Amino acid sequence: MSGTTTNGTTGPEPLEFDAVVVGAGPAGASAALALARAGRRVVLVERGPFPGAKNVYGGVVYGRVLDDIVPGWWDEVPVERWIVRRSTMMMTGTQSLSVDFRTDAWGSAPYNGMTTLRCHFDAWLAGKATDAGARLLTSTVATGLVRDGDGRVVGVRTDRDGAELHAPVVIACDGVNSFLAKEAGLLARAEASHHTLGVKEVLDLPPGAINERFAVQDHEGVDVEILGCTREIPGGGFLYTNADSVSIGVVVSLPELAASGVRPEALIADLKAHPSIAPLLRGASLREYAAHLIPEGGYDTMPALAADGLLIAGDAGAMTLAAGLWLEGVNFAIGSGYAAGRATDRALSRGDCSAAGLASYRADLEAQFVLADHKRLRKAPSLVLSERVQQHYPGLLCDLAEGMFTVTNPTPKPGGLKLTRTVAARHGVKLRQLAGDTLRGLRIFG
Amino acid sequence: MTTAPTTEVHPAPDGPLVVACLRIGDLRPTVDPLDGTVTRDRLGVGLSPADAAALEHALRLAEAWSGRVVAVCVGPESVEPVLRDVAALGATVMRVPLGDEGDGHRYVGELAEDEHGLARTLVAALAPFGAPDVVLCGDRSVDRGTGALPAYLAHELGAAQALGLVVLGPVTDSAGRQALLAERRLDAGWRERLNVPLPAVCSVEGAGVRLRRASLAGALAAEGEPVPVARSLAVVAAPGPGSFHAGAPQPFRPRTRVLPAPHDDDPRLRLLTLTGALVAHEPPTVVEPADAAEAADVLLAFLARHGYLDDTRVTIPERAATEDDAP
Ligand SMILES: Cc1cc2nc3c(=O)[nH]c(=O)nc-3n(C[C@H](O)[C@H](O)[C@H](O)COP(=O)(O)OP(=O)(O)OC[C@H]3O[C@@H](n4cnc5c(N)ncnc54)[C@H](O)[C@@H]3O)c2cc1C
Repeated sequence: MSGTTTNGTTGPEPLEFDAVVVGAGPAGASAALALARAGRRVVLVERGPFPGAKNVYGGVVYGRVLDDIVPGWWDEVPVERWIVRRSTMMMTGTQSLSVDFRTDAWGSAPYNGMTTLRCHFDAWLAGKATDAGARLLTSTVATGLVRDGDGRVVGVRTDRDGAELHAPVVIACDGVNSFLAKEAGLLARAEASHHTLGVKEVLDLPPGAINERFAVQDHEGVDVEILGCTREIPGGGFLYTNADSVSIGVVVSLPELAASGVRPEALIADLKAHPSIAPLLRGASLREYAAHLIPEGGYDTMPALAADGLLIAGDAGAMTLAAGLWLEGVNFAIGSGYAAGRATDRALSRGDCSAAGLASYRADLEAQFVLADHKRLRKAPSLVLSERVQQHYPGLLCDLAEGMFTVTNPTPKPGGLKLTRTVAARHGVKLRQLAGDTLRGLRIFG
Repeated sequence: MTTAPTTEVHPAPDGPLVVACLRIGDLRPTVDPLDGTVTRDRLGVGLSPADAAALEHALRLAEAWSGRVVAVCVGPESVEPVLRDVAALGATVMRVPLGDEGDGHRYVGELAEDEHGLARTLVAALAPFGAPDVVLCGDRSVDRGTGALPAYLAHELGAAQALGLVVLGPVTDSAGRQALLAERRLDAGWRERLNVPLPAVCSVEGAGVRLRRASLAGALAAEGEPVPVARSLAVVAAPGPGSFHAGAPQPFRPRTRVLPAPHDDDPRLRLLTLTGALVAHEPPTVVEPADAAEAADVLLAFLARHGYLDDTRVTIPERAATEDDAP
């Protein structure tokens, strides 16, 4: 088969579809699922040998978004453990202060969050799309956009002899730093300050040891989010329990990491050696390590989400919600991907796949959690990554706790306000600033 | 053995038949450092470099001869995605089910124990396609394959065999017949060149060629297609008593050689005495057996003399036993 491609060169005949979805991560699989369910001819292009082969994340997926998309998903999803304990830990080199929450409610259907491995989860979700009729093309890289004479996107070029896949709509779900979104002019040149680097290790640990050390039963899991573990670099850490392994890692500001000259693996090594963490990991052995960018700029840094013949979803559209208390990306990818699929179906029905014809996508996202949460928490990244929250508050809170709980007999116990004033001064923080940040936090998160 | 049919295999149209026997397994199995247990992951399943080279050679030969390629793999369902990728390259594929029951891992152990049975099974499974002109295998798989399969296949098919090749290509022999020209490595950087008549079974190293990528159309056409499964084909049992059966592999344990303690005071001289450095050695004896049977006798005699064979199970021919340190 040979024919003329849109750029005038002769090559293999392009293959025609109703939609081409690039990237079989959670966003792409969901977009393909929505389109296949609508009876559209959709192809899902993935560069890895199978969906999830190349994907990195911390480890917790919040499944509520799946309730409508895959009813009863919890009976079949490849879960490692259901999160029943969530800890938020502040630490210094020698101290830690945790707010630890546990509930039985999260340990049974419909559950809240789960640890799952991406090689299993992504393959499962893409399997839903192929079961519904989507075509999955693995080990294939989309190398560029194909445009018609009017500049509208009408397909993608692939690395298989440059052959093209043509469709009225391309949905770019190719993840953070999306080359397709950049080529379309939707995403500016990557701005380092809008990104963090996540590095993590998966450590093998027998299930019995996990249950004992994290105080859980089989199938129950723990999510620990940590502040104050990244030296002078703004960021945070995490520790999640899988079935027979744990995921531990840090997420740090990209420009500040570069400026510090610190190797990211040194930060993980610090965290693993911390007196509050080391006993949990004793005897664990390294299974794998990985690193990946996270688009953490939030609502204010999101690109336009549609162009003529093109939509972007998931991390390609900077949709990870990284707002201190939360690091959620997979659910946002699923929500946006599914909405992109549905908007494409509507545009195809109307025969208008221009940016205007695809505009219902954004409206959909505004109406549901994806953009609503981002909008509400748009100021969170700057607060969470601010110097005081990063550098001063973890130590301040730990010292406050130490001051409160250290028994000083025969000296009488210090009063709360006096202690706060002393400790704040020790950390170079004025009470006014503390109150101001508390108020700011309440406004953002409240 | 196993198991129910799924899809009927339809033999391809006429033309020289090139078969690739592929061993598809986890490319990075984990080995427990304490007890040696090998754990395989179905997500790591793929073609070893040697099997990929075998497939590429098969495709090139079929192209050169306007023939057809049949790729066959004995294995559980988890090998099917890889066979689909092979189908995308234009080969007719077939899976011979084995180990579908349970976790599908046991099969590797079974096959390693009975490569002759495996060869018979493959030959039976290939029967609907007609007699193969060339069968290609990788010279060794990543998951403890013995490399013995191609020799057994040649035996079963009554074909010539050329194993461990680095170069393979089609030629026409002096009588105008299609044949193969092959090269394999010898010691000291030498290579030997072989003229291999058809039908032939060849195994190739994972070197020299790189497996091509499927076209976009080919990849899409193969995606999601059912992989034909050989119809309920019992694994043909291993041959009965009287034949040679390799047991579980033993660790290499050369016999202890007792060396007299060196007398020199100078440590350097003691070391020289102990290592035998600077001492003139008898060069290896080069034997030139007249035929393959005689060569086998010489090899067996050597192995028996050095303690590698259980003397109660192998009768050493008189003639060979008198040879000195043959290989
Ligand atoms: C360290 C770290 C920790 C995280 N922790 C969490 C967490 O605990 N919970 C959570 O919900 N989120 C977490 N996230 C965020 C989450 O991983 C992402 O938000 C989510 O994966 C986005 O999904 P996606 O489908 O948009 O993109 P991705 O998951 O990145 O998928 C993109 C897909 O596109 C493919 N692709 C890319 N380019 C091409 C191309 N040119 N051609 C073909 N295919 C291509 C890739 O191979 C990949 O499969 C974390 C991220 C990181 C890095």
